[in-house]
Amino acid sequence: MGSSKSDILQGTLDLMVLKTLEAMGPLHGYGIARRLEQISDQLLAINQGTIYASLVRLLQQRWISAEWGASENNRKAKFYSITKTGRKQLAAEEENWEKISGVIGRILGLAARR
Amino acid sequence: MWKRLRSIYSRIVGTISGRQLDQDFKQELESHLVMLADENIRRGMTPDEAERAARIRLGGLAQLKETNRELHGLPIIEPFFQDARYALRMLRKNPGFTAVAVLTLALGIGANTAIFSVVYAVLLKPLPYANAGQLFFVFQQLPQDAKSGTGWSYPNFAELREQNHIFSEVVGVQNHQLTLTGQGEPSVVNTSVVTPELFSLFEEKPLAGRIFFTDDGKRGAPAVVILSENLWRNTFGADPKIIGSSIYLDQRAFTVVGVMPAKFRFPVLTESEQLWIPLVQDPLFGSWMNRRAGHWLGVTGRLKPGVSLKQAQAELDTISAGLAKEFPAENAGWTIRIMPLQDRFVSDIRSALLVLLGAVGLVLLIACANIANLLLTRAVSRSKEIAVRTALGAGRGRIIRQLLSETAVLGLLGGAVGIALAYWGVQALSSLMPATVPQVNAIRVDNLVLAFALVLSALASAAFGLVPAAFASKSNIQMSLREGGSRSGESANRRRARRFLAAAEIALAMVLLVAAGLLMRSFSKLTSVGPGFDTQQVVKADISLPQFQYSTPPQWTAFSDELLARIQAQPGMKDSAVVTPRPIADGFINLGFDIVGHPPTSQAESRTADYASVSPDYFRVMGIPLLSGRFFNRQDIPSAPPVTLISKALAQRYFPNQDPVGKRLTFGFPPAPGIAREIVGVAGDVRDVSLGQDPGPMMYVPYAQAPFWGANLVVKSTLSPSAVATAIRHEVQKIDKDVPVTDVAKMPDLIDASVSQQRFRTFLLGLFAAMALALAGIGIFGVISYSVSCRTNEIGIRVALGASRRAILGMILRETLVLALAGLAIGVPCVLAAAHLLGHLLFGISVNDPITLAVVGFILAAVAALAGFLPARRAMLVDPMIALRHE
Repeated sequence: MGSSKSDILQGTLDLMVLKTLEAMGPLHGYGIARRLEQISDQLLAINQGTIYASLVRLLQQRWISAEWGASENNRKAKFYSITKTGRKQLAAEEENWEKISGVIGRILGLAARR
Repeated sequence: MWKRLRSIYSRIVGTISGRQLDQDFKQELESHLVMLADENIRRGMTPDEAERAARIRLGGLAQLKETNRELHGLPIIEPFFQDARYALRMLRKNPGFTAVAVLTLALGIGANTAIFSVVYAVLLKPLPYANAGQLFFVFQQLPQDAKSGTGWSYPNFAELREQNHIFSEVVGVQNHQLTLTGQGEPSVVNTSVVTPELFSLFEEKPLAGRIFFTDDGKRGAPAVVILSENLWRNTFGADPKIIGSSIYLDQRAFTVVGVMPAKFRFPVLTESEQLWIPLVQDPLFGSWMNRRAGHWLGVTGRLKPGVSLKQAQAELDTISAGLAKEFPAENAGWTIRIMPLQDRFVSDIRSALLVLLGAVGLVLLIACANIANLLLTRAVSRSKEIAVRTALGAGRGRIIRQLLSETAVLGLLGGAVGIALAYWGVQALSSLMPATVPQVNAIRVDNLVLAFALVLSALASAAFGLVPAAFASKSNIQMSLREGGSRSGESANRRRARRFLAAAEIALAMVLLVAAGLLMRSFSKLTSVGPGFDTQQVVKADISLPQFQYSTPPQWTAFSDELLARIQAQPGMKDSAVVTPRPIADGFINLGFDIVGHPPTSQAESRTADYASVSPDYFRVMGIPLLSGRFFNRQDIPSAPPVTLISKALAQRYFPNQDPVGKRLTFGFPPAPGIAREIVGVAGDVRDVSLGQDPGPMMYVPYAQAPFWGANLVVKSTLSPSAVATAIRHEVQKIDKDVPVTDVAKMPDLIDASVSQQRFRTFLLGLFAAMALALAGIGIFGVISYSVSCRTNEIGIRVALGASRRAILGMILRETLVLALAGLAIGVPCVLAAAHLLGHLLFGISVNDPITLAVVGFILAAVAALAGFLPARRAMLVDPMIALRHE
């Protein structure tokens, strides 16, 4: 019953989380959520909890790994970091994303010109 | 692919280590909340505010945990187990509902499984022979007699064996009963008289010794015999030295050359004790091997691999054309046909079984409609629970899944009980099943039947589960919550669905009832049909003479004359006669005949009539009337002129508007074929083939002029059957102590047994129809009593405003009758569409019998009225004061 729309959104969120981990190094869930909010200038108004589903999916694919550690304020937190296969996947996804967004951009541009 | 596998692997791990993962995730979320709250405090919120804001920011904790659990676990299984546990709890809390639903379903599934096990064993499972699909029954047939197959003469068979290129092997088989002596009491053994190819054709290996070789079938070969394992064990005490020893059949020595394993049964699948001898050795059929006339050898062939039916039929056409050209006297007009051996075995039972299978299918449908109705009713009272779940964040899909899990659990429970019922049902069926149903394979609940039951219960639970699930998920949360659980708010849609289901039940039940009604009426017509003879107080017994000792017709006549004289001298047994064959009880002999002076006008127009050889008193014993001329008498002996009596049907068909007495017919049965006989009388018609078949032309000959090797007795006596049997045994012993008396039975029992298949299917269909009627009645009762309880308030108001009790009763009964009429309106076209399937199972009644239809309509309306009356009475007795306070 999964609609393609939610698949794309899910995939996008997964991609953003993966990219964040690549750029920032190991990070806990709260950190990832904060980072996504900052980058998107609060445009991405999601419940912070939503990223956990994304994290589980990425873990199951072994694209990220997780371990318990201490936060800046010395609180116990689970830290996620990108793995080697994760980097490979990210590279592939990025290329894919550029291709698709290029195509979409052109189509939308076309539509605008008409 | 790999990606998927990895995800599935971690999900499996997740399912197993679920609790720990939950714990882990909870901690993670807690630390997330703390960090969020910390930041909020930094921004200047109070700790309380900060924590509340953090929770909102993170989202619903319960939902997050649920999602997490689902992501970790296997997608369907884990929530299913959870739902199943919950469902079991719900079912335990509503034992009444559960019991009704499970029992209803179990009845449906059990009946279906039991009937399917019969259908599977008889129709679907291949015959218990190697490569059974290649085995075909090959028969000769007259075009005007397209329904039944007939056998071959040996010379024709030999021609077929020689000329064909389509069969890897063909075998001819006939059955005979021979007397076995030298093993204690003389006994009669079932003997198959076969051409030597039998065992190699069936690719069967002997348990001991050898099979028949080609040389065993040649004239002058030593007499050999092969025993079945059971005969060897039971009669010969499993003698290990049996191979090579001699046994005595009809007082002639046969050398045992082999023993066949018990699993090999042919030509009769139910026969476990028998023996096989080469055709050439048989005292009777061996002497017929040179005659081209006659159709007595049953032929089975194994088609070569790759030969299509079309090719086979084409070649058989060529062969039959050749036979007709070369031997027109015996073969003109006959064609050769072929049918799968399995069809030959199951023949007429197929359609009856399929009708029964269809009938139980309908019963199951009604059961499903009933349960769907129950579930709909329950869904109303559960709407508040579901609304609460929805409010707490359960998605529509999740709710549907939970409801479906519940019905799946219900379905599995019903299936389990149903399978238990089926085990019992199969036993009951096997004991009820008449011997004439060919038990090609043992009927039992095996793996495939179990799988069928499981698939059926899954389908059934999907069928009755989807309806309420579809409605439940559509319900409006706010409405349901606001209603506060009141039961008055059933949506119009749902009410319509419930009514439709109840009406459909009536329609389905109507189809079954009409089918059962037609079968019952047809059965009662069949059993009350006048067979043309009267067997009250008639006992039969068979005496078979050893044919090597009593080898000539004069010896046979001498034996039967002496026996009859002795028996008729016994007190109370004066009305005794010998006859071959007895009507219905023995099968029939059909012979061609010619009218002297009136040769047939065309080749294809064959004149045949059924044949019986009878002693003078036969007609009196059986109560067959004389219409003109005279009966046989004691002067009709071999030295007197040959005479015959014909039946009314023969007289009317071949001697219209003339007196047949004095005319002559030419016909004959071995050992005296082609004798011209003078017609001395016309007797009444008898149904000699079966009760259901109209009497055909019949010709009788005096036993003394055409004797058989034995005496098939009919004795009409007021003595008890056992006294008659004792007297017969006693007299036979006095003549020859080595001659056994077998198959003593009351004739009415045999006539009765001849319609056992019809009785069996009528009984079963009647049973299913009764089940359907009961289920439909319960269905209507459920719908109406629910409607009454929903309308209690309204009824209270009506009564308070002055409606009479009678008016209330009428109102509810009217509701019921509208439902019933709607059901009948749907039912009639269904009945008309389905009835023709019954066509050839019926006797003496049309498929569109209006009386049956009317009676069934009346019964259904009456049952509906009864089912509606109970709740209507409750409505009538409603106390307005209580009703108005009713929520």
